[in-house]
Amino acid sequence: MGITVLAIDDDPVNLKLAAEVLQADGHDVIRAADAEQALRLLDQHAPDLVLTDIAMPGMSGLELTRRLKADPRYRHLPVVAMTASAMKGDESRILEAGCDAYLAKPLDTRRLAMQITAILADHRQPGRKA
Amino acid sequence: MRLPDGHNRETADAIIEIDPRGVVLSWSSSAEQIFGYSSSEATGRSLRELLFIDDHDSEPALTQEICIYEALRRRKDGSLLQVNVSRRLFRDGAGKLTHGVYAKRDITPLKVARDAKEVRTRFGALLESVPDATLIANPLGRIVLANSEAERTFGYEHAQLVGLPVEALLPERFRQSHVQHRSGFARQPRTRAMGRGLELFGRRRNGDEFPVEISLAPLQTDEGLMVMSAVRDITDRQKAEQKFRGLLESAPDAMVIVGSDGRIALVNSQLEHLFGYPREQLLNQPVEMLVPERFRAAHDGHRASFFRQPRTRAMGAGRVLHGQRRDGSEFPVEISLSPLETGEGLFVSAAIRDATERRRFEQSLQDASRLKSEFLATMSHELRTPLNGIIGFSEFLLDGKAGELNDRQREFLGDVLVSGQHLLRLINDVLDLSKIEAGRMDLVRESFPVAAAVEEVCSIASSAVRDKRIRLRQHISPDIATVTLDRRRFSQILFNLVSNALKFTDEGTVDVKVSRAGPSLQLQVVDTGIGISAQDLPRLFVEFQQLDSGASRRHQGTGLGLALTRRLAELQGGSVQVQSTPGRGSTFTVLLPLGAPETAGGDA
Repeated sequence: MGITVLAIDDDPVNLKLAAEVLQADGHDVIRAADAEQALRLLDQHAPDLVLTDIAMPGMSGLELTRRLKADPRYRHLPVVAMTASAMKGDESRILEAGCDAYLAKPLDTRRLAMQITAILADHRQPGRKA
Repeated sequence: MRLPDGHNRETADAIIEIDPRGVVLSWSSSAEQIFGYSSSEATGRSLRELLFIDDHDSEPALTQEICIYEALRRRKDGSLLQVNVSRRLFRDGAGKLTHGVYAKRDITPLKVARDAKEVRTRFGALLESVPDATLIANPLGRIVLANSEAERTFGYEHAQLVGLPVEALLPERFRQSHVQHRSGFARQPRTRAMGRGLELFGRRRNGDEFPVEISLAPLQTDEGLMVMSAVRDITDRQKAEQKFRGLLESAPDAMVIVGSDGRIALVNSQLEHLFGYPREQLLNQPVEMLVPERFRAAHDGHRASFFRQPRTRAMGAGRVLHGQRRDGSEFPVEISLSPLETGEGLFVSAAIRDATERRRFEQSLQDASRLKSEFLATMSHELRTPLNGIIGFSEFLLDGKAGELNDRQREFLGDVLVSGQHLLRLINDVLDLSKIEAGRMDLVRESFPVAAAVEEVCSIASSAVRDKRIRLRQHISPDIATVTLDRRRFSQILFNLVSNALKFTDEGTVDVKVSRAGPSLQLQVVDTGIGISAQDLPRLFVEFQQLDSGASRRHQGTGLGLALTRRLAELQGGSVQVQSTPGRGSTFTVLLPLGAPETAGGDA
C-alpha cells in the first residue's frame, strides 16, 4: 500500500536520502529543492503527506506549513517537519506553525517509512487531536 | 620673684601727667620702662587708649582730688600688668580741672603672689588629683598654680612656673596671637576645648615642642576671672595615629573610618582619589555624601544596625553597591566593613574597592560565554546536516536497500557508520553542554518505572561491547519502583556511566545499583576495570580532559561524557562522586533528589 510523499529539502543529499529510503519501502516520492517548487508541484500532484526540512533559504519549512494550513485545499494535508536543530523552543515553533509531527535529523532510516505511515494513519483516524 | 620677660626689675613709679581730657602731657622714663611706650609715643595720646584693656575699663571718677586704687592695665606689647595707682587732680581758682598726675607702680608680682595664695588654698589639692598637666592663670595671664604633672610635662619646678606668663609655655611663634585669644576668652568665658580643629603645641623649658590638647575652664574668684587649663601631651597618641595613618595609606583600597554618628573621622588618599574630594571636604561630614542620593536613607539604617552588631563582613553581600563621586557620577563598589575599637569609642573602618573593571570583565566573560554557546548551537546544527547523509546512506547500504554488498564492503561501510555515529554523539554532547551553560536546558519531570529505564540503557550500552567478557548486572532496590525525574537525562547519565565502565573494563563485572538514599535516588555503577589514579581524579569531570590523552591513547571517547554527566546531575540538584583503586576498579555514585513523591516498592 504505497503512499505519495512530497519531500522538500534544500540539501540535495538529504533530499535524496529521504526519497530513496521511502521509495525502497514502496512509496512514491515527489522531490522539491525548495518551498516555492513544492507549492508548484502540489498543484500537479496530489501527495498524501508533506515531509519538509525547516531551515531552507527563501521560504522556510515553517512558512510553507503556515501557507498550507491556511489554504482550504491543503488544510488537511499532514505536514511532517525534519530538523537538525535541537535547541529549546524549536519543537514548539514547529508545532505552532501547524506541523503535525516532526523528525530529528539524522533520520533513522530503518524506521522512517514506518514513522511516516504511522503519522498518516494517526492523521486519518477520525476523532484525532485537532 | 624672677620673671623671664624683663619686667621684674625694681623700677620707680611711672609718673604721668594728663590734661582734663585725659591726654598725656608728660611721660616719665620709668613710665617708658613699665608700659613700653616712649615718651614721644605717649605724649599727646589718650591715656585710656594707651593703657586700658578695653572700653569697659574704668577708673575712679574725676571728682576726688586724691585717690589710690589697683587696676589691670595693658603694655604696648599687649601683655597685662597689675598697677597700683595714686592719682592727684589739680584745679584752678575757679575749681576747674587743670591737670592730673598719676604715680603708677607695677605690682604684678605682688598680684601673682596674692592670687597664688588664694588659688592654692582653694584648688591646690584638687589640681593634684587631676591626671593631666593643669595650670591656673590669673587675669594677668600669669600662672598662679600648677600641679606636679604640669611641672613634669613642661620641665619646670613649681616655684619657676608661678608668675610666668602662660605664653612662656608656648612656642615663640604662637605667643603674640595667644595674648589676643586670651583676652577673647576673658570676654566669653566658658568651658571648652582650646583651638578646636587646630594643631596645638606646648614648649618645654628646654625648648622642645610637643603636641597638646588643651581644655579651658573659667574660675570666678574675688581676684577676678582666672582660667584653668588642662594640658594633655598627645605625643604618644599622635605617634600611634601617625602609625595608623601610615597603615591606612599603605592599604591598596580606599579606606574611610566612620564614627557611630556617621561622620567621617579619617580617610586615606586612595579614597580622595576614588571619590574626587580633597580630605578637608570629607572629614567630619556624614559618610552618606559618598552614597548615591537614592540609597542614603537606607544607608543610615544599615549603619545603625552595624553599630548594634559590629563584626567584620562584606557590605551588602550579593548586591551591587554604588558609590558617588564629587562630580555626581556613580560607580560600582565592593565594600568590607570592620569594627574599630578606640579610646574615643567604636568606629567602623570601610575598605572600598572600585568594581567597575571587575563588572566589565564579568560582563565580557558572560558575553563570551553566551556567544560560545550560540556558536556551538549553530555549529551543531550545521554539523548534523551532513551527518544525516553519512549515517543515513551507510545504514541504507548496509541494509542492502541498494543491492547486496560483499563482506569487505559491508565491514568498511560499518566503519563509516560507527564513525558517523560517534561524531553524532560528540556533537550532541557538545550541544547539551552548551545548552546547560547557556541555561537553555529544560528538565521534563515524569514518573517512570526505574527498572525499565535501567534495562533499556543497559541493553543499548552492552550491545557495543559484545566481544568483551563482561557481566553487566542490575540491582534495583525494592523500595524504589517508580521515580519522578527527567527520564531522558536520567538515561543519559546512566548511559554515560555504564558505557564508560564497559569501555575501561576488559573482564569482570559492571554492576548497576539503584536505591534510595534519604530524599534522593542513588545510582551506582561499579566496575572491575583499570581504575583511576588519585592524581587523575580531579580532572575526571572536566570538559575535554581525557586521562589517557596522548600517543598511547587506547580508548576512544569524546572527553565530554563525564563532564556532561556531572553537569546533568547538578542541573537536577544532584551530584556525582567517584571512588577508585587503580587496577581494581571504580565506583561512580550519582545522587538525584526525588522532587515529587513516588510510589513505594510493589512487594511491600
